[in-house]
Amino acid sequence: MNKFRQKALGWDWLTIIVVSALLLMGIINIYSAAYNPDRPFLFDIKTLYGKQIMWIGIGLFLGIVISLIDSEYIRKLTPIAFLVVLVLLILVLFTEPINGARSWLGVGPFGVQPSEFSKLTTALMLAYVISQGRVKIISRKTLGLALFIVILTMLLVLIQNDTGTFLVFTAFFFVMYREGITLDPIILFFLNRVLGFRYKETWVGVHFIPVLFVIIFFSIITLYFTESKHTFSFLPGYDVPGWVVLISGITMIALVIFFIAQNFAAQRAKKKIRSVILIVYVVTIGLVGTVSYSYLNVLQSHQKDRIDLWLGKIEDQDGKDYNRNRALAAVGSGGFSGVGYHEALLSSPRSRHVPESETDFIFSVFSEEWGFLGSATLVVLFTILLVRIVVIAERQKSRFSRIYANSVAMIIFYHFAINVGMNIGIIPVIGIPLPFFSYGGSSMMSFLIMILILLKLDSQRKEVLA
Amino acid sequence: MNLESRRLVFILLFLLVGVVFVGRLFYMQVVDDKWIERAGEVAKRKVIIKPPRGILYDRDGKKIVANKTYYNLMFVEDDIEDFDTVAFSKLIGISVDSIRQRFVQIKKQLDRKTRSKKTGNDTIVNDYRSYLPHAFLKELSADEISKIAIELPDFKGFYESPISMRDYPYPHGANIFGYLNEINAEELNADRRFYNVGDFIGRTGLEKYYEHSLRGQKGTKVILTSAKGKLVDNFAGGKLDTNALQGPPLHLGIDIELQAYGELLMQNKLGSIVAIEPSTGEILAMVSAPSYDPNLMVGTRNIRTNYSRLYRDSLKPFYPRPLAAEYPPGSIFKVVQALVGLQENVITENTGFPCTRSLVGCHNHPPASNVAKSIQYSCNPYYYYLVKRIIEQNKDPNLFKDAAIGLELWERYMHSFGFGIRPETDIYGLRSGVIPNVSFYNHWYGEFRWAFSTIRSNSIGQGEVKMTPLQMANLAAIVANEGYFYEPHLVKSIGDDGPLEKFKVKKQTMVEAKYYKSIKEGMRGAVNEPGGTARRARINHEIIVAGKTGTAQNPHGEDHSVFMAYAPHDNPKIAIAVFIENAGFGGTWAAPIASLMMEKYLTGQVNNKAKESRILEKRFTNINE
Repeated sequence: MNKFRQKALGWDWLTIIVVSALLLMGIINIYSAAYNPDRPFLFDIKTLYGKQIMWIGIGLFLGIVISLIDSEYIRKLTPIAFLVVLVLLILVLFTEPINGARSWLGVGPFGVQPSEFSKLTTALMLAYVISQGRVKIISRKTLGLALFIVILTMLLVLIQNDTGTFLVFTAFFFVMYREGITLDPIILFFLNRVLGFRYKETWVGVHFIPVLFVIIFFSIITLYFTESKHTFSFLPGYDVPGWVVLISGITMIALVIFFIAQNFAAQRAKKKIRSVILIVYVVTIGLVGTVSYSYLNVLQSHQKDRIDLWLGKIEDQDGKDYNRNRALAAVGSGGFSGVGYHEALLSSPRSRHVPESETDFIFSVFSEEWGFLGSATLVVLFTILLVRIVVIAERQKSRFSRIYANSVAMIIFYHFAINVGMNIGIIPVIGIPLPFFSYGGSSMMSFLIMILILLKLDSQRKEVLA
Repeated sequence: MNLESRRLVFILLFLLVGVVFVGRLFYMQVVDDKWIERAGEVAKRKVIIKPPRGILYDRDGKKIVANKTYYNLMFVEDDIEDFDTVAFSKLIGISVDSIRQRFVQIKKQLDRKTRSKKTGNDTIVNDYRSYLPHAFLKELSADEISKIAIELPDFKGFYESPISMRDYPYPHGANIFGYLNEINAEELNADRRFYNVGDFIGRTGLEKYYEHSLRGQKGTKVILTSAKGKLVDNFAGGKLDTNALQGPPLHLGIDIELQAYGELLMQNKLGSIVAIEPSTGEILAMVSAPSYDPNLMVGTRNIRTNYSRLYRDSLKPFYPRPLAAEYPPGSIFKVVQALVGLQENVITENTGFPCTRSLVGCHNHPPASNVAKSIQYSCNPYYYYLVKRIIEQNKDPNLFKDAAIGLELWERYMHSFGFGIRPETDIYGLRSGVIPNVSFYNHWYGEFRWAFSTIRSNSIGQGEVKMTPLQMANLAAIVANEGYFYEPHLVKSIGDDGPLEKFKVKKQTMVEAKYYKSIKEGMRGAVNEPGGTARRARINHEIIVAGKTGTAQNPHGEDHSVFMAYAPHDNPKIAIAVFIENAGFGGTWAAPIASLMMEKYLTGQVNNKAKESRILEKRFTNINE
């Protein structure tokens, strides 16, 4: 009995409560979002809500079975799981595309999306690889292996044409950052071996996450301006493209900083500052160029449209922006307390104004029916869950568990931030599910297994997994 | 470096996103109303509900134009499941092939040409939507639909939908009411706010004239629609809905019994009867013969069967003779000439002229020693002398110029009687008649190349002068009123609002009331005194009729028989004009018909059955021969 209590106390009840609350909200919500008046029975297996409940059941069953395994064995089984999913990811490339993406594997109505499970297995595998090293400092070999695992999976997902999941994989860089992984070996290789500098370390290599934010910021500015035309009074008759203006601006700023440094910096630092300015300048120009080129020439037209719509460069609320506009209207028309359960005007399955309202845009159903009270509760619950998982991560003795927990936090965060973000118009439309809410067997099962493994590892947090 | 502090990056990122999302949600959902409006734009639709048309009542409050419910057999293609064409074909009595063709036809009807703004080329756009309802069969009667309706639930996607169409309890007055027909492109473009393709619109008669009243006010129903435009729910529990308002009833001056009787009397004859209440200008009856049963022109199915047959009929039942047929008025015109002569002082009440038959033919009658007698006997030479004096007033030494001056004066008199100008009567198809004027003759003969002798046939209502039967009846009303009239009109009240303003205006002729006395005396004499031309128009000793016969010469065949009258003489309640084509002398046919009509109107019945049957048996047309 005492032993049982000890075990029960080992499980993180806050996480269990928050996830249960989200699951319950998700079931309640999908019973409205996919309501079929001919089949009002909640557990009717022919309806989406019936199926969703079935997926939850299967997910919980699998998760609990897995959590019966000792943490150490979970860790040891990781490479096998990863390889199995990797094989599935390759197999899926030989299927017929559905809606332009090859992500379904299976026969008839029952199929799985390996890409959904690949997030779980990659998280485990990353933890496995990084935790191999006995010392805190990560070797070049570990770095290479970690990058290889993440980038290989990312590429396979990208070939499937599943852009959303592809983006989610960038979550692992945050985890690497937390683990103190430095990209210096790669950066220094380029700087010193290729370009002939002599650096020992770079700030960028260590703090690549802050750099990532800077890159995102610059990219947005580039996306915004690159296509526009500008005229200048000193250049009559010429329409200067935005990317030329951007590059000219960056060049001028670099020159100004260069002269300031030249005149005011200490003599012995001058050389170093000069080369830093040069590198930053070249990288920035490279970034602007790459983003502009990808945006103008590489992106598929619908992806470019989504970005333009998001940036407000074009407006087409009944055409290209149909989905987003309807979802925004559904969310916005919820008001403070919502229009009432099963009363949604726009996102209800009767009116079908919001497309994909059971999957990508399911947040709009919840927001419309429960209003600000409901949607804010949802955001708060997710935020609590995310912070809690980070707290869990940080209390792990085992590095494996910590890395895995942080990965789970970031994966859920990505899904939550992108999905809700696009439903409220602050992120362009990227089709990924909202955990515990969106209909979908693979994602529901993978999230549940993910959480249950996390809870299992956490219950053995005092142990050091070898 | 303390890596553990890096967890703060995570936690701060999560908290930041949480706060931004909550803030954004608060702004979108609570602060900004933009999205609520947008949701309305997306999901709300206004559905227009059109009310049944206004009802028409006769002067006694009898319903004469009503509405009847018919049914359209509708379908929504998307809802059709397991369609058994053979069974359906049996049910509606149409071959399987025709059913297929009908579906194709419905789609094809919704082809629409549009011109591309870019290329300027016409392209065909099809407006057919498989999720919207379309009529498979239209205008089924209650009987027809009841046979189908029982089995209709077996055919998913099909259902019946009631529509309102016209119904005429009395098969009379077709030329007054006019008919409705499907709106054409021109009418549709003129008022896109009200009409839609397939709507019915008043095409002729009162239905056309009072279209804006009769059609009523559209109601709107705000509904919640799905992305595909299907009805999902009433919006806001119907709070934003407005009711459709049926057009106000039109109360007609028409006495439907009199109208029916007039049409009966005019059977097998060509011509018109127009009866007016002199004190108000309300038209009591307006018979155009031949006519048709207005029920023949209800709905597209009927119109398709009957229109071309009626249209091709050589007797032209669609032709509104009382309004549009312009005839020489014949001798009834003498009444006007005498009045002008008196007003112009070229004669007095006691002026006599010899019946000089060398001028113009006449018939045997006692000498016309005064104006009244000239009317009573309808002496032709009398009016040659009289009108000569009107036209030649010696205002100019030049005979031709003098005639021009005289004719101008005369023309003004005529216009004051409403001749030569189009009546403002509330119906379409009116014509103005002809009052020849100076430019008319200048055009024919050249300026100052004509004088009274050239135009003298107008004196006795022949020659160039032409009037419509409506104008003739109005002349009778003017005489009965002694010098004024209200514009003849059919609708005496729109709802409870009374007639149109223009029908409340009393119009004076240029002839003073005092001059009408002797004319009325002459008309009374024509009916009641020995030697009068219209003795067949007498009713009985209590109701004294006053009238004037006319025989309009017809170069194409038998003369037309004309008669105008009013009764009772001392307190006129009805003024009437009867015009029978090719019936010869006015006293023989037109006068008795007028008398029967007046008797019917004034006493509610007809006692002189012999007179009635003589009329009923007479035929002047070749119908059925």
